[in-house]
Amino acid sequence: MDNLPILSMITYAPLLGALVLFFTPRVDAATSRQVAIGAGVLAFILSLAMLVSFDVNESGMQFTEHIEWLPDVGVNYDFGVDGISAVLVVLTTLLALVGIIASTSITHRRREYYISLLLLETGMIGVFFALDLFLFYIFWELMLVPMALLIGVWGSANRVYAAVKFFLYTLFGSLLMLVGIVAIYWENINLGNAPTLNILDLAAVQYSDTLQFWVFLAFFIAFAIKVPMWPFHTWLPDAHVEAPTIGSVLLAGVLLKMGGYGLIRFNLSLTPDAAEDLAPYIMVLSLIGIIYGALVALVQPDMKKLVAYSSVSHMGFVTLGIFALNMQGLYGAMIVMLSHGFVTGGLFLCVGVVYERAHTRLISAFGGIVSRMPVYSVLFGVLMLASLGLPGLSGFVGEFLALVGAFNSYRWAGVIGMFVVILAAWYMMWMFQRVVFERAPGEPPDPHDNALPAVSGASADVHDHDDEWPVDEHGVPQWPDLNRIELATILPLVLLTIVVGVWPEPFMELMRTTLETILIPFGSQGV
Amino acid sequence: MLPGLETVNPDLALLTPHLIILGLALLLLAIDVIVPRWRGAPMAYLTIIGYAAALVATLLMIDTNETTFNGMFRADDFSVFVNIIVLTAGILSVLISINYMTSRAEPGSMPVPEYYTLITFSILGTMIVGAAGDLLIVFLGIEMTSLAAYTLTGFARHRTTSLEGALKYFLLGLFASAILVYGMAWTYGATGTTNLTEIATELTAFDTAGGVEASLLLAVLLVIIGLGFKVAAVPFHMWTPDAYQGAPTPVSAYMSVIPKTAGFAAMVRLLVQAMAPLRDEWTIIIAVLAVVTMFFGNIVAIAQTDVKRMLGYSSIGHTGYMLAALAAFGASSDLNDDLSVTSLLFYLLAYAFMNIGAFAVVTWLQDRGRGVDVEDFRGLASQSPYAAVIMTIFLLSLTGLPPLVGFYAKYYVILATVDADLIWLAVAIVLASAASAFVYLRLIATMYFSQAEQPAPEGSTPFLGAGLITMVAGTVLVGVFSGQVIDLAQEWVEALTVPF
Repeated sequence: MDNLPILSMITYAPLLGALVLFFTPRVDAATSRQVAIGAGVLAFILSLAMLVSFDVNESGMQFTEHIEWLPDVGVNYDFGVDGISAVLVVLTTLLALVGIIASTSITHRRREYYISLLLLETGMIGVFFALDLFLFYIFWELMLVPMALLIGVWGSANRVYAAVKFFLYTLFGSLLMLVGIVAIYWENINLGNAPTLNILDLAAVQYSDTLQFWVFLAFFIAFAIKVPMWPFHTWLPDAHVEAPTIGSVLLAGVLLKMGGYGLIRFNLSLTPDAAEDLAPYIMVLSLIGIIYGALVALVQPDMKKLVAYSSVSHMGFVTLGIFALNMQGLYGAMIVMLSHGFVTGGLFLCVGVVYERAHTRLISAFGGIVSRMPVYSVLFGVLMLASLGLPGLSGFVGEFLALVGAFNSYRWAGVIGMFVVILAAWYMMWMFQRVVFERAPGEPPDPHDNALPAVSGASADVHDHDDEWPVDEHGVPQWPDLNRIELATILPLVLLTIVVGVWPEPFMELMRTTLETILIPFGSQGV
Repeated sequence: MLPGLETVNPDLALLTPHLIILGLALLLLAIDVIVPRWRGAPMAYLTIIGYAAALVATLLMIDTNETTFNGMFRADDFSVFVNIIVLTAGILSVLISINYMTSRAEPGSMPVPEYYTLITFSILGTMIVGAAGDLLIVFLGIEMTSLAAYTLTGFARHRTTSLEGALKYFLLGLFASAILVYGMAWTYGATGTTNLTEIATELTAFDTAGGVEASLLLAVLLVIIGLGFKVAAVPFHMWTPDAYQGAPTPVSAYMSVIPKTAGFAAMVRLLVQAMAPLRDEWTIIIAVLAVVTMFFGNIVAIAQTDVKRMLGYSSIGHTGYMLAALAAFGASSDLNDDLSVTSLLFYLLAYAFMNIGAFAVVTWLQDRGRGVDVEDFRGLASQSPYAAVIMTIFLLSLTGLPPLVGFYAKYYVILATVDADLIWLAVAIVLASAASAFVYLRLIATMYFSQAEQPAPEGSTPFLGAGLITMVAGTVLVGVFSGQVIDLAQEWVEALTVPF
């Protein structure tokens, strides 16, 4: 297996599926789904194989592939994987597969839907593997189009606005990054080195402070938009709310991680001095993001928007951990990213489940779901608790480590961050209470329980639609519990949440050597 | 000083591609008179074969680097690359024209034989500019290209917009030519020669003597204004939107590449080759023009509802990027590292594929009875998915999204500008690209995100289909395999023998 270009195989397995579908225009929806699942499974298995044979003790890149491409300008086809990208790639292939399987609610233009999904997966994987800045940029932009199409074609009412906003925001950021790439490329040449765009070669060079500052900013804005950090986050709620369920899952689960990954991979290793100088400011932005996201989430009437704003808050912990610039902080950032992938992905799937049934996502339209959908409520509950950071679940491990790291470097940041965690419990549990426990709109108060307040202002009428669900005597629809496909997609994420929460060691072991290498310029010691 | 007085034996072998195209043009005229029943498709075949033959002859001349006609004609690698651009663009333009001629897209009919003859003459003119070694030859080539372009713009003679566009193009073009000649006259007056290399030598002498004369600055300014009209740089762009909108669509496609190439080739010959010693003066003017042009074009394009007019404004925007490439000239003392003209040439080639491609899809719709409004693209993705995908590829390439050729083109331009310490210009390029994304995205959104209202387009257009496939292949592949293309484009350095 040593000679197989395993990384390219993982990257292009989904592309292969997309091409097959593209050139078979008359394929029916069921077959196109099978092809997509096949490609998704293939990529997932290959990535697992890569993970199994990954050597955790080696500090450099593994499974490297090198092909000369445009030698005159120093552009090469360089692929490689280290601890952080390995983890994120497996997360990507897993969530993409979950997404493909869960796409049962898509009813129109399904072949095109799966093509977009597979193209998106190729772009996402390539971003994590690319070691050449040029190649990285190509994959980075490659994701834009299928994601915008997913939002714009298969999204909800205001989808075109959201798709265009998403596209323009991200494009703006990445174009600035392009200037940064070119600037560092010339600086490297001016310092007397051979032209190259290889990240590792470029990182080995010491650049002047001014250049580091500007290059750092160019990259930072691109990644901060993707993360998204406050105040670059405004595209996210629109994109999330309008995207189809799977679009949201991949957006939250993987696309946001690219911002964090980019900050670690490029900002920390290419411009370490600037990163050190600017870290306090970024800590402030992160804290604002954490608080702002939580407060705005608190008042959202729409479940999906609530989860979207909670993402802004959670990703604040990622940047907080990264720019703590120590081992605990980076561990924390990586675990938060991983955990956020499972948890928020799962939460979006959960929102999708009730949306399928009620055709609305307004919190006020729901209530008492627990008596009708017990299995759903349990899984939803676990994910909700993981999101607010209950010990024993994955969210806690990451946020704890990120805060420890922040506390180590900037005491004030750690202290403020810890107090804010309470807000997450507030908005999450309140939402859960209203959706799962309280009375459904229309349901009369329980005569034996005076403690429950009567629900007022249950404005959203869920009976407008062609309700195929049987209703009870109070007009409350009797939705069925999770079906097999829904269970099969949500359950693995819940299990992973518990595994990471109880036993994070193997994941941290995977990343240890890599993170230590990244921290060398900062003179920080390990855990 | 008049070298033409001595008898010379011109080396006609160096003119092979030009002679092939000239022969083709005359042959097409003759066929029209002698064998009228060959009008139409056979003529198009002949045209394509002729262009292909000239292309082969051009490729055989790589690395020739010789001059003839006393230095008035230069067969060097710059001219080779210009030939490659225009002949490729020519073949593509003819491919998308054939079905358009017989479709009912234009009221009345268009005279077929003259159409191909004029395109051929226009290509010859551009090739002559590319190979020019003398002010007079530059002017000769420019005029040959422009006159054909004016006529072609008015070719839909039963449609008033076409005539209007042609008239505006013609009148403003005449002004531009006059200004250009005036600039050339000042250059001649200051240096006493019309040979480009000798002008450069004279100017170097001036330069070392200290100070630049006002007359020379005037000459530079007039040349830039005159050629600015030809390439549609703001504020000399007034003719562009009307001409693009009014011309028959394949002509708009042709017009966006071939006369533009002539204008840029003339800029390179005049500014980079002849006026290199004045580069400190002219690069800053070009840089400012570039910024104004790219922002104006892309932002005004946002407000357009007619796709041809929108592509016209977007073509102004692309002129801005190309000017930015030119403004990066003279960055390093070692010309072998100078990417300015290299990236300009590559951009023009890339532009030929993606922009003619975008117009070709418009043609494709027109051949099927649709209009050229943005609304006519509604729901195209559900009715003709392949046409929509192809259009999307061209539009994304125009936006500059990797891995399409438009991205590589912009990347090389940014490389050149950053190397020349024009970071602000590089930032302007990316900001303008972000603005342009809005333009192209709107059309993509219309194709994919809205419901179709008109019946599905039907019809058969084999030639157009072949052209589209070629251009998609070019848009996808030329960028990825741009290494050799860039190598060839970099040869301009040896071609232009600039004395520093």
